[in-house]
Amino acid sequence: MGCEITAKDRAGIINPMFDCQPAGAQYAGIGVKDSIPLVHGGQGCSMFVRLLFAQHFKENFDIASTSLHEESAVFGGNKRIEEGVEVLARRYPNLRMIQIITTCSTEVIGDDVEGSINVCNRKLKEIFPDRKIHLVPVHTPSFKGSHVSGYDECVKAMVKTLATHKAKPNGKLNVFPGWVNPGDVALLKSYLKEMGIDATVLMDTEDFDSPMMPDKSIQTHGLTTVEDLAGTPNAVGSIALARYEGGSAAEYLRDEFEVPCVVGPTPYGIANTDAMLQNISRLTGKPIPESLVRERGIALDALQDLAHMFFADKKVAIFGHADLVIGLAEFCREVQLKPVLLLLGDDNSKYKKDPRILALKNSVDHDMEVVCNADLWELERRIRDKEIELDLIMGHSKGRYIAIDANIPMVRVGFPSFDRAGLYRKPTIGYKGAMELGESIANALFTHMEYTRDREWILNTW
Amino acid sequence: MTSEAKVDQLYGYVQKRCLWQFFSRSWDRQENIDGVLGIAADLLTGKELTLETPQQRLFYADAKIMVRDFKERFPWIDEAGPAQVRDMLNGLKARLVDIAITGSKNRELHHSLY
Amino acid sequence: MPMVLLKCDKDIPEREKHIYLKAPDEDTRDFLPLSNAATIPGTLSERGCAFCGAKLVIGGVLKDTIQMIHGPLGCAYDTWHTKRYPSDNGHFQMKYVWSTDMKESHIVFGGEKRLEKSMHEAFDAMPDVKRMIVYTTCPTALIGDDIKAVAKKVMAARPDVDIFTVECPGFSGVSQSKGHHVLNIGWVNEKVGTVEPEITSEYTINFIGDYNIQGDTQLLQQYWDKLGIQVIAHFTGNANYDDLRGMHRAKLNVVNCARSAGYIANELKKQYGIPRLDIDSWGFNYMAEGIRKICAFFGIEEKGEALIAEEYAKWKPKLDWYKERLKGTKMAIWTGGPRLWHWTKSVEDDLGVQVVAMSSKFGHEEDFEKVIARGQEGTYYIDDGNELEFFEIIDLVKPDVIFTGPRVGELVKKLHIPYVNGHAYHNGPYMGFEGFVNLARDMHNAVHNPLLKLAATDIRGTTTPAQFKEAAE
Repeated sequence: MGCEITAKDRAGIINPMFDCQPAGAQYAGIGVKDSIPLVHGGQGCSMFVRLLFAQHFKENFDIASTSLHEESAVFGGNKRIEEGVEVLARRYPNLRMIQIITTCSTEVIGDDVEGSINVCNRKLKEIFPDRKIHLVPVHTPSFKGSHVSGYDECVKAMVKTLATHKAKPNGKLNVFPGWVNPGDVALLKSYLKEMGIDATVLMDTEDFDSPMMPDKSIQTHGLTTVEDLAGTPNAVGSIALARYEGGSAAEYLRDEFEVPCVVGPTPYGIANTDAMLQNISRLTGKPIPESLVRERGIALDALQDLAHMFFADKKVAIFGHADLVIGLAEFCREVQLKPVLLLLGDDNSKYKKDPRILALKNSVDHDMEVVCNADLWELERRIRDKEIELDLIMGHSKGRYIAIDANIPMVRVGFPSFDRAGLYRKPTIGYKGAMELGESIANALFTHMEYTRDREWILNTW
Repeated sequence: MTSEAKVDQLYGYVQKRCLWQFFSRSWDRQENIDGVLGIAADLLTGKELTLETPQQRLFYADAKIMVRDFKERFPWIDEAGPAQVRDMLNGLKARLVDIAITGSKNRELHHSLY
Repeated sequence: MPMVLLKCDKDIPEREKHIYLKAPDEDTRDFLPLSNAATIPGTLSERGCAFCGAKLVIGGVLKDTIQMIHGPLGCAYDTWHTKRYPSDNGHFQMKYVWSTDMKESHIVFGGEKRLEKSMHEAFDAMPDVKRMIVYTTCPTALIGDDIKAVAKKVMAARPDVDIFTVECPGFSGVSQSKGHHVLNIGWVNEKVGTVEPEITSEYTINFIGDYNIQGDTQLLQQYWDKLGIQVIAHFTGNANYDDLRGMHRAKLNVVNCARSAGYIANELKKQYGIPRLDIDSWGFNYMAEGIRKICAFFGIEEKGEALIAEEYAKWKPKLDWYKERLKGTKMAIWTGGPRLWHWTKSVEDDLGVQVVAMSSKFGHEEDFEKVIARGQEGTYYIDDGNELEFFEIIDLVKPDVIFTGPRVGELVKKLHIPYVNGHAYHNGPYMGFEGFVNLARDMHNAVHNPLLKLAATDIRGTTTPAQFKEAAE
């Protein structure tokens, strides 16, 4: 019995768990209202990422490209940035921010993004004397990290660029939810409202689930404003729910402007949500209201019906973003599921020293393996070679064929989840998220029992 | 119907239906226009065909379907004599060469490589 | 009517050269949209990159081949789970993608060792797979990794494997189109002629430029089987790597997508004397015409007529049922390029549908010559259309349905316009006779989606809440 922390020993990747840094930067960028990220690279670097977001959210998002071509690869692409910024500014009169996101090619070429921004700022001032468009340099070479670190980098870059000075305290709480779904943001905002807290959510992606309206208006955009970002140094505190997705921005505000900050835990499961609410309460001085105690009770009541009867001893593999995987593993242990394999993607060397991983390592009473820098072949190969037997897989849709081919029930969670309807709307964090996730797991197991005729009659009387 | 109007009808058909006029390079287009219309003339005037190469067999396949459609859509073609048919096809050829080659704005037509 | 400068393009007037509104008595000698030209930065174009044109569109379709992408992980991730091209071996090509996962140190010190190791690992992980395509990407091309040399080395170490290399980083060319070209020319020069196929019929063809989208290739294969025609290679739908090495033995090249694969057909004509026949595989009368030409080439006309009669008997009544209900529908086509000219006349002739606007991502001027010859007057023909242009065009032509990709589809949904996936289809296949009935059905179901009417209704109407209350009392 014990937990082993390993890493993929192959150089290459078979079936990556993550996209590259610029993709994550684009996701953070679209969270700002009246902004269009400008990806400085080949056209594929933004076209496919837009498609990926469309697959997950069933929505369109505006992201521009500098359309890097051969001559820029030879002579440098700064002119493409300057032209792209001007074209965007002229054609989108409400635009207030452009994140200039680098890619592998433009980092290798060594384009001077900051220099281009100076040129653009002068030019924009000339053309639009009454308009301010904030240009944010975001350095996200694809040969470092993954879309997770790219997201973190872009959030930090936007905060750094906009949060230039500390002014009068605004009494608000900075909340960095991490890479979560609109359903999660909506739930989080409802918690904050119930606690009577005025919060700045970075990034507020609630409207990434947007309506078809009679007036045909398009309301699919981030809700975090330029003012929100600029006001972050004046907050009473910051809470980052994901260490690797927005955590560094909270720490930046602490180091630069002495904004008190709490990083983590990621609120998957009951205890993690408890800690989140207690942290928020401590930072703001606002008590946790009765309504949330009640919501917690409802979730416990629902999960209690499932845990020791259906979940106990079921072996689970989880893959995806590190904060998500760790949080879900902790949730699994609350409901008696056994997380036997955790796959943390990308080469971030901090994962294996993450205190949460170490805590898991010290407390599990069953065999567990944590694979760092993992790809999805790490999961598939273990199943093929019968090194592992699983009752359940939890992860995003890119792993769907592993589950399909091995006939293992799979609950889609994380990004992207394009092969199940409406998941972006359902919360996974918080009490309600824990309850809904537990119920999704139960229903996946139940359906599997029926399709495989495995004691499906148990449910005759449940 | 004037012979010009008749050529118009043939030209309209070819523009709308025949992909061989739009091959990648000017020489392919010229070869196809000459090849298909040459065999079409033979078919319409009842001349015996000599199909020696695979390429000629393909011109025949394209011409055969085109001639069949010509006869179905433009009944006047059956009444035209061999000289008149040749004249009309020459007129058609000139129109096709003009739109697909000499008058074409396609900047890739004259690349030396594919 | 000359070229059009849309209102949204007033600040980028060069876009006028790319948008054409066809008027009576004009033709392509007068006006032809400029195409295959560089995109203006920041315009929100729909274009992808050359790498994806090679990997995602053509090479990645092969059902028995490792797709080794030499670069950071994103290029692999992004060209995976974005296509619907199944195969008859369990969809190997849709399940896997490989990356050398380039890191900064490899950018600095070179990535060839990393590539070599990744290639061996990939073969070791799946010992039954013996074929591989290696692609460069932007950074590995910029640092100058010699992927051909590495491929040679790996082939020397593993005599039973064969490897093809594709060098078209994302920044090369102006769109996907460059990648099609590089892969086509590379393949014909390096791989065609290296395998002798088994010949089982005197009638042999290559079917070029069809990628088995939702089973297109497999549907058309039924026709070739009935006609006794052996398809030596499908380029590249449902194809094996080695099938394509034997392309030189076909008697005829039948080309559907001339944009992505016309190059290899041209080269096979030039180098091996195999004639090139372009056909349209979408639409009833086009498909019949294609079959007739192929059969005329081989002198098996009776077989062709029998097949067409059988297919018409089976599917024409169904098509006509939809035609009755689709007549006058206004359609827009915003896809890659060739589907504009493949579809505009077939939906008009077979379904009575009017195509009112078309935009091509990566078509060349040749494609616009074709589509303007075939398309209607009063229709917009757009090269490399961008988002604001789409909004303006929609206002101008008011389409009832748009055939385009899922992302634009989500966008136009907000404008209460239904979309049908013009790249990957909704519920295909769409080629052949049965396929075109599928297309008609999907269009019909889209146009008659009851939710669209509901979406347009403002429940507040002209009555105020107070009046509602009064009415209730």
